[in-house]
Amino acid sequence: MIFRVYVNFKDGILDPEAEAIKQTIANMGLNSVKNLVKGKFFDIEVEDKKNYLSEIEKISKDLLANPIIENFKIVKK
Amino acid sequence: MKEKKISIVIFPGSNCDRDLFVALEKCLGTKPEFIWHNCSHVKSTDMILIPGGFSFGDYLRAGTIATKSPAIKEVIRFSKRGVPIIGICNGFQILTECGLLEGALIKNSNQLFKCEKVNLKVINNKTIFTKNYKSSEIISLPIAHSQGNYFIESDNLKKIEDNDQIIFKYSSDFGDVTEKYNPNGSVNNIAGISNKKKNVIGLMPHPERAIENFHNGIDGIKFFKNLKDLI
Repeated sequence: MIFRVYVNFKDGILDPEAEAIKQTIANMGLNSVKNLVKGKFFDIEVEDKKNYLSEIEKISKDLLANPIIENFKIVKK
Repeated sequence: MKEKKISIVIFPGSNCDRDLFVALEKCLGTKPEFIWHNCSHVKSTDMILIPGGFSFGDYLRAGTIATKSPAIKEVIRFSKRGVPIIGICNGFQILTECGLLEGALIKNSNQLFKCEKVNLKVINNKTIFTKNYKSSEIISLPIAHSQGNYFIESDNLKKIEDNDQIIFKYSSDFGDVTEKYNPNGSVNNIAGISNKKKNVIGLMPHPERAIENFHNGIDGIKFFKNLKDLI
């Protein structure tokens, strides 16, 4: 069983990398992009034990994302 | 009287540990001990410093992986006893990531690795770390980081301001704290903060890189000499 954890910056947190990517798109002569958000994801394969969901939540909250600046979302693949 | 012990925690990827050792030895006349990151029991210590560098290659977020090392549990244990803890640069990032200090350090807003000398205004000179500074004294120290942009939500910013937890701010030679003198986009030019109890401090500038005549300034000497009473 695989879960995908998405992590991205909360609204209002400046992401200079996303800004640079957005600027590059403009430099490529493409003009339809209004906004661009960058994030990352982690695919975590778990064994079928009863505590896997609470463990994935703990991994997301305590390691993969910093709740001060980032959101996370867990999706079953 | 038993000689007091200063400890420096080293993680894979720390790179200012030796500079810090030399600075402490020179300014305080005490040889610190090194604690390797996977040390799960520190018998005793009177002060802990977490040096700069790129612990665990800055993987995931700067400082994050270091917070899961056994030695950090010891740092937290000693901090609760009131032992002074100082995090410099990556050490500051580690202290925010492990929750001993509030806020977070994100990428510099200008997308640059900033390596330069900056002026700092001493905002709180009443802490155990800063009590020998004059109020609003200006000091000059080097910075070298790409993730030193201090962020804290506005409600919590107010709390740390009201509780005098802001220790240093980036400023001009004359103490103007304005955007012009902010090297990385930090909220309100914040360069260093403490915890609520004021026994844990984190700062992005490197005092250990300003202690010799061949360095770019020697204001780090006073920073370390301020610690004399604590050990």
